[in-house]
Amino acid sequence: MAEPDAVQTFENGLAEIRGAYAEALRAARSEPELRLINGRYVGPQGELTKLLKLMPKLPGEQRRELGQAANALKQEIQATFDEALQSIHRSAREAELTGPPLDVTLPGRWQMPGRLHPITRVRNEVIDIFVSLGFDIADGPEVELYENCFDKLGFPPDHPATDEQDTFFIGAAGSIDAQSVLLRTQTSTIQIREMMKREPPLAIVSPGAVYRRDDDATHSPMFFQLEGFLVDEDVTFAELKGVLTLFLRRLFDEHIAVRFRASYFPFVEPGGEVDMSCVFCRAWEGDRARTTQCRVCKGTGWMEILGCGMIHPVVFENVGYDAEKYTGFAFGMGLDRIAMLKYGIPNIKLLYENDVRFLSQF
Amino acid sequence: MLVSFRWLQELCPVDAGVDEVAHRISLAGLEVEAMEEKGKNLTGVVIAEVRAKSPLPKKDKLTLVTVFDGENELEVVCGAANVPEPGGRVLFARSGAVLPNGMEIAPRKVAGAESNGMICSEAELEIGIDADGIFVVDPDTEALPGTSVADALDLYDVILDIGLTPNRPDCLGHVGIAREIGVLLGVGFTSRKAAGPRRSFAAAGSFQAGEPTTKLAPLWDNDSEAVDTPKLPAIFVEIADGDRCPRYGAALVSGVKIAPSPFWLRYRLHNLGLRALSNVVDATNLILLEWGHPIHAFDLERLAGPKVLVRRATQGEKMATLDEVERTFTEDDLLICDADGPVAVAGVMGGRDTEIRDETSDVLIECAYFDPRSIRRTSRRLGLHTDSSHRFERGVDPGAVPRVLASAASLIAELGGGAAATTAIDRISIPFEPNSIRFRPARAAQLLGTPVPQEESLRILESLGCQVVEQGDDAFIADAPSWRPDLGREVDLIEEVARVRGYEEIPTAVPRVHPSEAGTSGLLKFVDRLREAAVASGLYEAVNYGFLSIDDLRKARVSIDAVPLANPLSEERSVMRTSLLPGLTAAATRAQRRGATEVRLFELARTFHPTDDTLPREDTVLAITLAGQRAGWIGGEQSFDLYDGKGVIQAVLERVFGQKPKLTVGELPSFLHPKRGARVTLASRPVGFVGEMHPDVGDDLGLIGRVIYAELDVEGLYALSEELGPTQARDLPKYPAVARDIAMLVRDQFSAGEIADALREVSKGLAESVRLFDLYRGDQIPDGHRSLAFRVTYRDPDGTLTDKRVDKVHASLAKLASDRFEATIR
Repeated sequence: MAEPDAVQTFENGLAEIRGAYAEALRAARSEPELRLINGRYVGPQGELTKLLKLMPKLPGEQRRELGQAANALKQEIQATFDEALQSIHRSAREAELTGPPLDVTLPGRWQMPGRLHPITRVRNEVIDIFVSLGFDIADGPEVELYENCFDKLGFPPDHPATDEQDTFFIGAAGSIDAQSVLLRTQTSTIQIREMMKREPPLAIVSPGAVYRRDDDATHSPMFFQLEGFLVDEDVTFAELKGVLTLFLRRLFDEHIAVRFRASYFPFVEPGGEVDMSCVFCRAWEGDRARTTQCRVCKGTGWMEILGCGMIHPVVFENVGYDAEKYTGFAFGMGLDRIAMLKYGIPNIKLLYENDVRFLSQF
Repeated sequence: MLVSFRWLQELCPVDAGVDEVAHRISLAGLEVEAMEEKGKNLTGVVIAEVRAKSPLPKKDKLTLVTVFDGENELEVVCGAANVPEPGGRVLFARSGAVLPNGMEIAPRKVAGAESNGMICSEAELEIGIDADGIFVVDPDTEALPGTSVADALDLYDVILDIGLTPNRPDCLGHVGIAREIGVLLGVGFTSRKAAGPRRSFAAAGSFQAGEPTTKLAPLWDNDSEAVDTPKLPAIFVEIADGDRCPRYGAALVSGVKIAPSPFWLRYRLHNLGLRALSNVVDATNLILLEWGHPIHAFDLERLAGPKVLVRRATQGEKMATLDEVERTFTEDDLLICDADGPVAVAGVMGGRDTEIRDETSDVLIECAYFDPRSIRRTSRRLGLHTDSSHRFERGVDPGAVPRVLASAASLIAELGGGAAATTAIDRISIPFEPNSIRFRPARAAQLLGTPVPQEESLRILESLGCQVVEQGDDAFIADAPSWRPDLGREVDLIEEVARVRGYEEIPTAVPRVHPSEAGTSGLLKFVDRLREAAVASGLYEAVNYGFLSIDDLRKARVSIDAVPLANPLSEERSVMRTSLLPGLTAAATRAQRRGATEVRLFELARTFHPTDDTLPREDTVLAITLAGQRAGWIGGEQSFDLYDGKGVIQAVLERVFGQKPKLTVGELPSFLHPKRGARVTLASRPVGFVGEMHPDVGDDLGLIGRVIYAELDVEGLYALSEELGPTQARDLPKYPAVARDIAMLVRDQFSAGEIADALREVSKGLAESVRLFDLYRGDQIPDGHRSLAFRVTYRDPDGTLTDKRVDKVHASLAKLASDRFEATIR
């Protein structure tokens, strides 16, 4: 049975909701507020929902018409809601875009990687240069035979040349007579080991820890060296100069000057030492005043960086190579020293103290 | 070695300045490490004449001296006892002068008297070491008051400190360096004769008849007045070990008076680092510095003649050396002996009982050539490194014996006012044989990479003293001079040519390198990858010494079966490490003591283990330690625990291998906490361990809190990586996944891992992953239980999963959990 009042109530209700909804929405300032208001009208307990429950009571002929009107209002409300929501989103974004910036000084947040030791870094840099020139990398034991460290390298027996490398020997404490096993004093032992193993041509660099009985302000009893050598037919001193000049320029600066001085190592002949422009006062830039005051090169503009030479024929003979047929060059450098130069490390001890405050600088 | 530039200029006609000379010899292998100019820092110090002196009243040690400094008469208070009488001259520092030690002279009151300057000792001016009294100027010195002390005493010199390489004994004396300069600067060098003595005598009766002698007189530059041969005991030399003493010469000087040396000699020795003692001893030192050839002066009267015997010691034989130390010898030591026994350790040090005394009048001068190896062994055995042994062990010039004796005899006679014998004993047991070396200019060119003209090579080698004995078209043969024992084969001569021409004359070229087929060993590359992975995983690389103390090993409860050093620097570094643990945890301890909150370190290095072979085994190990707190974001810090250790191991291994390691409970090293650690396996292979440090060990090592330590066997990992080969790519899934959670209450005895494994297994291949996402203990959970929640990701590689199918499988997981693990599904 139809109720004429119901029609009136329904019609009034629609009109009321239409007006009130828009009004209420206009006051909303945030999305939750908006949704709360929306729920008051179209939610399960909402005004419109309640009104729609009256539908069955409407007379049949008007039910269809009023139903359409109600649907139209529902759509209108949805559209109004969407628009209001969008507007609120927009103004929130607007506020974020124009509001105060984030405190960018708060700490960053990430699992931070660690650091390579400066010696490893320098070693990698040095190795990369030689590998790009065609050298292989090799290594060998740190505890070595005397013959590999001295005899086969052409150190004459009982010769003062071995004084330059005060050696740690292996054995019961105090038994200096048993001197056949030692801690290698130089990575040149790799020359012997590789040459005994392989035939020329050979192009090898070998980094590693070496040990000498020296412990003072500028010496560490363990330190790192890198030895390199090239053996082939017709290898020349000119090529030694070429390779080392190229190497130093790549490692430090393409403008540095490099000079070769005569020197002595039992396993090379002619032997030499290599000086390069001081990298502290950047001597190649020719600022005399700066160089004169440089404490590192003592005003000379030069710093010693490498030892080198043509491999002594006695070394070839000791490993069974034909010393007439093959020639070769060898060079050695202290990786600690290069690390200290490159990174301005003032004291060699820092390299072995493993202080994280130091390690984290690299 | 310290070298006087003034002296070099006296020996060789060099015009170039000291900087130029230093530069040239440095490039040629005589590296000048430092230079010091002498006579430049004494401005304001002048000769002054004493005009009057009187003791200061009540101050018996002080004298009030009136001096005339060339301009004024000044009163000065002097504390020395040897102020000369009026007319004597002293060295006077005027007011305003600054002494070498930095002291500035100013007028001041001393004991009530005005003192205007200072009368100086040689030590105060650093021109000698005598600090006992003031320097009194020798009456023979011509210098008017007011003359600067540097001018008056001729103090000008430049002292070069040359870092000599051990192959160049010829440069251990000024003559050798002068020769080198002559060659390098192209001014030539001729060894000059020694100034002869004023008085000499024929030694005929002094040497036993038939003794081989050499004439010294022709080596002297001037004639000397012949005096009667003094009555001296006849002597002769016998060499019992010719191999160790190929040549032994002895000269005589008679009638010397021992006295202090003249100032110029004392000053020269002082500048060159030697202490002046008396004229005869100073003369032997000057000869050593001139020729690089050590000589020894015996007090002839105290030698029990007639025989001077060069022989090896008997085992346990004893003698006191002149440093007052009783030495004990072995059969490997060479001694100089007289009739009573040893009088000198050959080439190392003279004996106490025959050294020059104040009363010495007759001197026997020894100049010999000893076998370098023998001298070196003795010197090392006795721990006695002397200026003499330093030269003999490098090889002195056997050919120089007569010239050195001539110089020495003449100098000693001159300084001591004695007469020198015109001949000397010269016993040769093995004549010097020069090395004859073939030189091929083509070989030199091949080695150096630049042409070397034959004429130039000849010129250089001859200027160095080589004698060309045979000359062909493409080679010549040269005899190396006796002072260059380092020249033994062709390449030595090539170096000489290259060195004298200058290495800068050699061009630079880039070689063609033949890359090897094998390339760098895989292990080395693998080690680098591990190192990079460790860094990427948040670890800082540490580098520790390879040696430590046995106590470090013991405290860390690692193997004490270590490789010992025979001659360690200290007990703290006396064995090779058997583990990286002590070094790495020591770094952590130090960091903690300094207040570091977070320590994340790794070391990739070797450990050393004794074997039955000659060489020990060297294992490459990656060790990791975590201590303190893992950084969170602003207040989110938490202490490191086992799971951080597990995480970092996982990060490192996943980066290198692309697969996860597994942790299993098993036997752990005794330095780890027995219940808070695990063995690490990768592809079912044991590769290391990780865990908390055992709290007792942590205490012993001074660690604070729970510290994590892990080790991976690098060689084992490398072998595994070779076996596994590179990671193989999997196709990406074509069908979507469905995720379902399962939460359960289980007893602690069941590990999360075994439950997850079982769940995966029962899913019949549908569970792609089973991931623990929640773990809870608390109010609602009974003791000894925990609540575990897993997220299971289901996927069928061959089709889209239906809910029904997933439901069914998921239910079987729940059933398994309750059946096998007695779990209550929540």
